[in-house]
Amino acid sequence: MSETTSIETGKRPEEISRSPSEWIRQNLFSNIPNTILTIVFGVFALYAIRGLLGFVLSGERRWEAVATNMRLLMAQGYPANQFVRVWVTLGCLMVLTGLSLAIWSSKGRLSVKKISNWVMNTGFGLAIFAALAPISPSSRLGWVIAGALLLAIGLGSWQRAKNKTTGTVHTVPTVLFSFGFLGLLVLSLWVVPFGHYAFTNGELVAETGRTVAMSTKLPFTVMWLLLVGSYCLTNLVRESLPIGQAKALLVGLWLLSPFVLNWIVLRDPDFDYGHIISTDVPIAALFIFVGGGILFMLTKPSLGEIGRLVAIALLIFGIFNWVAAFFGWYPMLQKVRISFVMLALAALITPNFAADKKTRLKFVTGWGSLILISHWLITAVNSPSTLELQGPTYLGGFSLTLFVAILTLLLSFPLGVLLALGRTSSMPIARVLCTGYIESIRGVPLITILFFFSNILPLFLPQGMEIAELAAIVTGYTLFSAAYLAENVRGGLQSVMRGQYEAADAIGLTTSQRTGFIVLPQALRVSIPPLVGQAIGVFKETSLVAIIGAYDILRIANNVVPAQTEFLGVKREGLLLVSVIYFIVAFSMSKYSRRLEERVGLGER
Amino acid sequence: MSTEAVTTNRSDMIVCENVDKWYGDFQALKDVSATIAEQEVVVVLGPSGSGKSTLIRCINRLEAHQQGTIIVDGVELTNDLRNIEKIRSEVGMVFQQFNLFPHLSVIDNVTLAPKWVRKMPKAAAEKKAEELLEMVGIPEQAEKYPGQLSGGQQQRVAIARALAMEPRIMLFDEPTSALDPEMIKEVLDVMKDLAHGGMTMMVVTHEMGFAREVADRIIFMESGEIVEVGTPEHFFTNPTEDRTKLFLSQIL
Repeated sequence: MSETTSIETGKRPEEISRSPSEWIRQNLFSNIPNTILTIVFGVFALYAIRGLLGFVLSGERRWEAVATNMRLLMAQGYPANQFVRVWVTLGCLMVLTGLSLAIWSSKGRLSVKKISNWVMNTGFGLAIFAALAPISPSSRLGWVIAGALLLAIGLGSWQRAKNKTTGTVHTVPTVLFSFGFLGLLVLSLWVVPFGHYAFTNGELVAETGRTVAMSTKLPFTVMWLLLVGSYCLTNLVRESLPIGQAKALLVGLWLLSPFVLNWIVLRDPDFDYGHIISTDVPIAALFIFVGGGILFMLTKPSLGEIGRLVAIALLIFGIFNWVAAFFGWYPMLQKVRISFVMLALAALITPNFAADKKTRLKFVTGWGSLILISHWLITAVNSPSTLELQGPTYLGGFSLTLFVAILTLLLSFPLGVLLALGRTSSMPIARVLCTGYIESIRGVPLITILFFFSNILPLFLPQGMEIAELAAIVTGYTLFSAAYLAENVRGGLQSVMRGQYEAADAIGLTTSQRTGFIVLPQALRVSIPPLVGQAIGVFKETSLVAIIGAYDILRIANNVVPAQTEFLGVKREGLLLVSVIYFIVAFSMSKYSRRLEERVGLGER
Repeated sequence: MSTEAVTTNRSDMIVCENVDKWYGDFQALKDVSATIAEQEVVVVLGPSGSGKSTLIRCINRLEAHQQGTIIVDGVELTNDLRNIEKIRSEVGMVFQQFNLFPHLSVIDNVTLAPKWVRKMPKAAAEKKAEELLEMVGIPEQAEKYPGQLSGGQQQRVAIARALAMEPRIMLFDEPTSALDPEMIKEVLDVMKDLAHGGMTMMVVTHEMGFAREVADRIIFMESGEIVEVGTPEHFFTNPTEDRTKLFLSQIL
């Protein structure tokens, strides 16, 4: 008979959270060197802030240059009478965001203590602002009162949160908090007199002391309503939705959105319906049904080697089409050429879907949808736009920056992964080609590549083949970024232990299955920090579109705004705004990278 | 290059004839010949560097031998990829370092190969996985990740993962060498159950107790060659070779 002795487990002593004054004393003034450092850097920081505030608030500043040109900075060159399309685009993105937030219901919560901390810090910041800014004594008093009020509110709620002895931490869902914060910003548009600055009918209109124009207030409010509305609606019906399929559908929509929003919504292609019905629909139907039939046969499990041979034959045929087009041997629509290559690629992956009939039908249905969507997009791109454009692109300003950055990242990421796999593969041809590509791209500056693609490549193309300016730019960026991404991914690949390869081989996974299921997930986890750094770099490098004459936000702030007769020479305000925008985006990417690393458990054993 | 099955009263699962293997200039296996019959449990013993792990890794082509022939379940092991794939689907392996996939849950680890190699539907694969996890004694850990399990639990998941492909032969490369002493027993118990269930097993281990209890035959290797082969009684109580006696005196 053994008696189990129970060891008394005591209660862990509650950690006494420190009050702000204690925090200050402990972290800033704990010993003599710390105190000296605090004082020196504190003085330096205050001096710098005062200088910055003096610059920002000085009477010489012409902030109305920025305020008037907001629309220009954000979406330069887009015809004003069609501007509603830009709002439609933004609205679609808001709806997608709301849907995604609801479907991927993030359980993130913010503690009330943290929020009180933020409020206190803001109050403190306002107090410093009030103390250092060169403003009139009356407004200084106003700001001091505001700062003290915020400090008091923050401190009060912080104390209340601290005094709870029950141990439960009061939290607020992060999503709701963000919605509330954005709602406050939108509300400020209706309430705070920012002033109305615009170019109306070619003349500058500047009215201080009233709220912004209705054409700004209303759309932003609608955007906010769309975001919150789609989130709440989806949350209500979330239980009855097939979550897995909803997630897949949303991912598909997100991947499609840059292309659809750009080529269809913003560009407004002028579809020639007669031509479509006579030519495009039959071609699409042919590929869907005949191609689908071929794929269905190829997914027969008992097929064996013939399937692989057919796929390779299709691939050779597909590539041959491009060569023939280059030399002009026989005419073939670009759409058809692309479809053949897609058919070949789909045929190559049929072994992975050679299972029961349901899987095979799903694969063929997927093929059908792919053809439908791609043909629709290609037809849209090939139809002329109804917009009258002023520059080489129909997007400008910040929207151009975002568009080029997002498209580049979307395209260069898979390419970079493929290059990394090719460089480390055991096939000598793949290795040589990929290494050659990576090393030559890395040896050349980005501007050279962009210059080549936009100016020199069109000279090499055969007669009648032309490449849109923006496509040339995005291609150049993609190829450049892919080479650097490949090296980052290769570093991650090298971190995967040999034992993982051996275990995958031992249970019988094919090489591609091993790469996709075992090696790549682990490699990409490790590569997250350099990959995010690369993404931030891509975002900032988009300012180089200036070499083809496109106007991104930096060029507008640097060249266009100072050239306007009303704002001759006003440069620094615009540049300051642009730096703030760049910083916000880049910093958000960094912060998200940290969260991503935590989620995949990086750095933990 | 024969692919006919070698016929005896019980078919030979693994036949190694005059196998030589070099790592660069260093010869790791010297003229190794061994036969393992169906449902036999063979334990390979020897000092470190004797080539035991090399031999067992040659059998499922994790290492390639340069000379000699290895025939597994009637299929000869050559550079032909189809033969290798065929052999690997019949042979399961358990590693010293477990080599579980850290980014997949336990149940995903076990169902990965059946779903994608045998094309089993998800429900059937998961049912089988749950049965296997029950057999190795950890059904409640199905949703956890390998990093949350102890070493003994991880190794048992690795055994379940290997068994999920319904192999005819199981290879064990020092399965308990990386475990704490109190966890060794739980893994050895699973291996004993497997052996009594009639699995053909080839085990490289230092666990003498296991060898004495469960092995049908013991192969003793040193410096890349097979020194002595015999039943456990013969090996432990009455070894023939001097080198065997030296080895036993050092470890027992």
